[in-house]
Amino acid sequence: MKSALILLLAQQATDPAHRVGAGRIEGGWEYIWASYAIFWSAMILYTLFLWLRRPERNP
Amino acid sequence: MRNWLRPALGGVAFAMLLVGSWLALSWAPPDREMGDVQRIMYVHVPSVWMALLAVTLNFACSVLYLFKNSWKLDALAEASAEVGVVFGAVGVTLGSIWGRPTWGVYWTWDPRLTTAAIMLVSYAGYLALRRFVEDPERRAVWSAVVAIIAYVDVPIIWYSVKWWKSLHQVQSSPKTVDPDMVFVLRWNALGLLALMTFFIWSRYRIALRDRERELALPEAVAPANTAQMQASGAAR
Repeated sequence: MKSALILLLAQQATDPAHRVGAGRIEGGWEYIWASYAIFWSAMILYTLFLWLRRPERNP
Repeated sequence: MRNWLRPALGGVAFAMLLVGSWLALSWAPPDREMGDVQRIMYVHVPSVWMALLAVTLNFACSVLYLFKNSWKLDALAEASAEVGVVFGAVGVTLGSIWGRPTWGVYWTWDPRLTTAAIMLVSYAGYLALRRFVEDPERRAVWSAVVAIIAYVDVPIIWYSVKWWKSLHQVQSSPKTVDPDMVFVLRWNALGLLALMTFFIWSRYRIALRDRERELALPEAVAPANTAQMQASGAAR
């Protein structure tokens, strides 16, 4: 019984899933949506900024 | 250069990034510990990579300008610095948002974050300097020197997570990351590289147009400089 328990603990110790903390962040989609919204807004706004200042428009 | 090439590059870049965002948000697996919030990595990491690449181009152009005095190099330095600041600001903002659910704070004065903030302030100062100096030649020389000094921070940003105890994680290796995650990261990085090239190219044309305008205003340029500017080909 004792050796079986030791064997089980040894197996768990070598398993990468048990080597680090078992906690996992749940949810957080509001942060993800905010990040992608900022990313896309910045890329589109800078493209618009470049387009408005293009040499063909203001020679 | 063919007229359609630059807009086509922008179109391809946006199309790649649209697919990349879909891959990142719905196809890539969630992280074992960070869960879904790790999906921010697919836009945060490539944005910072592009910022570092753009300021590296700015550094190269600034060094070369001091030797060659080419207005094209000065225009490219201006374009790459502005694009670097755009990507740097986006990258730092997204990193800050990612920090809230994982570290518990939006900002901490960790070595990586601090050196990234220094880079943003330095290049914002570089762009401000370019606005304040009217004489094109003096502006080009001064900003080239400032750019070389500002670039000292870039290798420090890269190695900060190795040199000091940092809350920010060390660079991951593809060997230790899920292949699906590596694929999505590389796809987004490639899309953003295309977009960065489109941005720098477009901004370079604007900067070159500005130099040509300055050449057309004799009172804005000292007589001794005018001949040098025309010889270097900015008016072409």
